[in-house]
Amino acid sequence: MTLGEREQDAIRAVLDGLVREVDVKLELGPTATPVTLLAAGGREIDSNAVTHDLVEAVCALSDHVSLAVVEHDEPGPWPRTTIGPGLEYLGMPAGYELTTLVHGIVEAGRAAPSVSELTRERLQELQHDVKVDVYVTPT
Amino acid sequence: MLLAYRLALASPRVTARGVEASEFAVEAGRHGVQAVPAIVVDDRYAWAGAVPETAFVERVLAARA
Repeated sequence: MTLGEREQDAIRAVLDGLVREVDVKLELGPTATPVTLLAAGGREIDSNAVTHDLVEAVCALSDHVSLAVVEHDEPGPWPRTTIGPGLEYLGMPAGYELTTLVHGIVEAGRAAPSVSELTRERLQELQHDVKVDVYVTPT
Repeated sequence: MLLAYRLALASPRVTARGVEASEFAVEAGRHGVQAVPAIVVDDRYAWAGAVPETAFVERVLAARA
């Protein structure tokens, strides 16, 4: 079992708040810049397999979330999870980053974005597209 | 990470992406990432560390300017 009973209950409770349907797309395949990831004890981690298990397990906890899995043959930035209208996450959403996946789904499933009025006004001043990448680690 | 997602949902001009730094170490190194969370705006290192929403949006706007 990828997620324990307590984790499943907690995530299910959070996802119960969804008011919109959320589509999640998971893309798997060989990574363009391979690295070896080791778990405690030296076991090598299969990022694609772990990500598939985690994303599938989370999406199964809400009827408002649907999952599509795409397998690529060509190297690329995989695994890539795309939530709703384009919130992306590259890599395994494991450890603390499991909350990024879950709350990303929650944010995409809200009736309206949860930012302040001031933030909304400031964003309206943007004249050009802007790409924000946030580098994180699971621990 | 969630602030970036919220900004992307609030503005069609913003795209947001989380990147697991150890899995994408080459990309992290290319952008000068040495600590997390690190924010890269339009492929340029912007800052590291968590900040409140107001500061986050101001820094994104300043980095884009």
